Amino acid sequence: MIELIDVTKSYGPKVAVQNLTLTVPPGELFAFLGPNGAGKTTTIKLVCGLLFPTAGTVRVGGFDVVTHGDRARALVSYVPDQPFLYEKLTGREFLQFIADLYGMDPGRARDRLATVIQQFHLHEFVDDLTERYSHGMRQRTVFASALLHEPKLLIADEPTVGLDPKSVRELKILLRDLARTGVTVFLSTHTLDIAQELADRIGILDRGRLLGCGTLADLRKQAASDGNLEDLFLKITEAP
Amino acid sequence: MTDSPATDQAAVFRRLRVRLLRNALQSLGTNGRVKLATLCGTSLLAAGFVFGIARYGFQELFRYNVPLKGLIVGGLFDLLFFTLGGMLVISTGIILYASLFTSPEARFLLTTPARADRVFATKFQAAVGFSSWAFVVLGVPILVAYGSVAGVPGYYYLLLPAYLLGFVLLPGSVSSLAALLLVRFLPRNRKQALLLLGAVAALLAGAWGVRLVLSLRQTARAADKEAVAGLIGQFALAQSSLVPSHWMTNGLMAAARNDLPAALVPLALLWSNGLALFTLAAWGAKRVYRTGFDRATDGGRGKKTFRHSPLDRVMSALVFYLDRPTRVLVLKDFRTFRRDPTQWVLLAIFGGMVLIGGLQLRNISQSDLATLEKYAVSLANVGATSVLLCAVLSRFVFPLISLEGRKFWILGLVPISRNQILRGKFAFAATLSVVLAEGLILISDLLLELPAVVVLVHAVTLLAVAVGLSGLNVGLGAYMPNFRETDPSKIVVGFGGTVNMMIGLCYLVLVVGISAGPLHAAAVAAKYQTGQLSVEGSALPLWAFAGVPVALALAAVATVIPLRAGGRALRAVEF
Repeated sequence: MIELIDVTKSYGPKVAVQNLTLTVPPGELFAFLGPNGAGKTTTIKLVCGLLFPTAGTVRVGGFDVVTHGDRARALVSYVPDQPFLYEKLTGREFLQFIADLYGMDPGRARDRLATVIQQFHLHEFVDDLTERYSHGMRQRTVFASALLHEPKLLIADEPTVGLDPKSVRELKILLRDLARTGVTVFLSTHTLDIAQELADRIGILDRGRLLGCGTLADLRKQAASDGNLEDLFLKITEAP
Repeated sequence: MTDSPATDQAAVFRRLRVRLLRNALQSLGTNGRVKLATLCGTSLLAAGFVFGIARYGFQELFRYNVPLKGLIVGGLFDLLFFTLGGMLVISTGIILYASLFTSPEARFLLTTPARADRVFATKFQAAVGFSSWAFVVLGVPILVAYGSVAGVPGYYYLLLPAYLLGFVLLPGSVSSLAALLLVRFLPRNRKQALLLLGAVAALLAGAWGVRLVLSLRQTARAADKEAVAGLIGQFALAQSSLVPSHWMTNGLMAAARNDLPAALVPLALLWSNGLALFTLAAWGAKRVYRTGFDRATDGGRGKKTFRHSPLDRVMSALVFYLDRPTRVLVLKDFRTFRRDPTQWVLLAIFGGMVLIGGLQLRNISQSDLATLEKYAVSLANVGATSVLLCAVLSRFVFPLISLEGRKFWILGLVPISRNQILRGKFAFAATLSVVLAEGLILISDLLLELPAVVVLVHAVTLLAVAVGLSGLNVGLGAYMPNFRETDPSKIVVGFGGTVNMMIGLCYLVLVVGISAGPLHAAAVAAKYQTGQLSVEGSALPLWAFAGVPVALALAAVATVIPLRAGGRALRAVEF
């Protein structure tokens, strides 16, 4: 579903991502870890088509994001760390806008709206203006909008920040269920427990380079350690 | 399963805009009736004020049957539309740049299947709407005033909205194309390149202004056809048949003459060119917007170390009378100001233009400027400096509280009251504006070799203007904050910013008229009664100074009332 082939992205003189090659197959839950400034968000923006690689190729669902960006973006939903909502729309109006934007058939849009409203427990506030929403309410609305059009790839940047324990638990179940139904989930997080618990594979990025990538067992082998993910992460990123 | 994105995105975004507008109006109607009434009231007041002044001017022109009055009105309209068009290019460009390349909404939309040209069109309409607000409030009353005096046919008024809408398309399209191309193709140090372009444009405008003043002076002396033609000749650029502002003038003047075919041709020119340019801009957006966004994200990230500056110590010394915590707040605002070149460069350009004007007038006074004209010129300097202050404070000080926005909790947690925060912002604004205004007026008055008493009255007048405008901008900025907007240019041209600008303009006209007006009237009266111009101390009647204490009282009112209202509003806000 995601192919990054020898991708480099520079911000002026600073290289944010360097010669990154990574493949994430359909239905995989991939967790992307790394210290602050490692290049995780830049990589995500490259996959979303928000930024273009300085060198290399990024493909989503087989479509090059530079040459066939519209086709690629139609397959993707992105939940950023600071999600955007139109303050003067209600949650329902925002969901309807997303349905329209993705060209959903009206009948199907109606059904999916009802489904995600129920799935994310939006009933109580879905007809209020989003300017009155708390962080948790906003996050649930954004996830509902991201899944409304049933994307092939869900990209989430720090999705658990600001959520209460119950919401985090529900989110974890949701992400696992999505992967089970064939949706690729690309997750960027600092919460190592979630990555360890959920991810099929884990990628560790530091200073723009992919230092390690694989299952927990693969990473243990690479780090020559039997510790938990936190130990492995520190050992791999602090290695000279 | 994702459907095909081949949907009617124009209809999708149209529905979005309608919903946003409807909800915003409903929200304003239920939660902000006082605010809505204030906004509408001040807009009407400003429009009424402009209408009154314009109608008076046109009536005088028609009553005395001034030679070539049609040419003069045409020249004035050319100048009005040319200037407003230029301002629209700049304001729409700035708003559109922020909307397209730095806003969270743009980041969100670009990750969806929304087409680049559709996102551009949506942001274009919003930017033109924002920036044209003042154009409508200022332009329509002048055109209606002309219609009411010149006895125009009814369709003149019906055509006005069509002309105005057609006209705003052109500067909007030009600036959007420029913004897209500059972001996409300029080298990495584009900020410096843009500032350089802006400075060159401002200097050219300043040189043109000086030529205009010289021509006006000649016209006032000669008052014959050649001089009028000379004056009109200064507007040659604005009168070129290739300039859209001239199409506006031609069309409206033809409508006023009841020549419908001649009125419709320029209208068609405006719309066809506007739509063609907009289509070109949208086509450009389709090709370069996404790559431009990519460049805007990665451009010019050189590592820079910020250190203390001697200017910080000067600022700290200027507000020595404040307690330490408030002084620290003032320094924070000052550092933010001086580290943002888009803020201080504009101020430097405008200040430089006033000084260049002063130096040119010095040359004139050394040659043949009559004494009476020195007074007229010095009064114009007071007016220009006041307008400069009004523009600068509205642009930079009014949004200060709004920009604290969601990070207000930082200030909310420090051990100082919210009133102190307001006092700090007021001290920052008042100190800088007093230094700027007094410096400019002292230099220009001394260059004109005016007597000390005139310089003193001008200095007190500008003190009242600077302090009062600072109080108004800080107070109203806190009373009508927009914590959701992060783009200062949008805050300035929004409802609150427009109301603030209108009140500020009315205030400065009132203060300058009351404080400096009588002195200059007394000078003119002395000239015609005695044949000599004598304003040295006791030679002037007492009433010539009667307005000065009134102006100071007005400054106190303009400071205290808005700051109290703003303080109350700020204390009531929960973050």
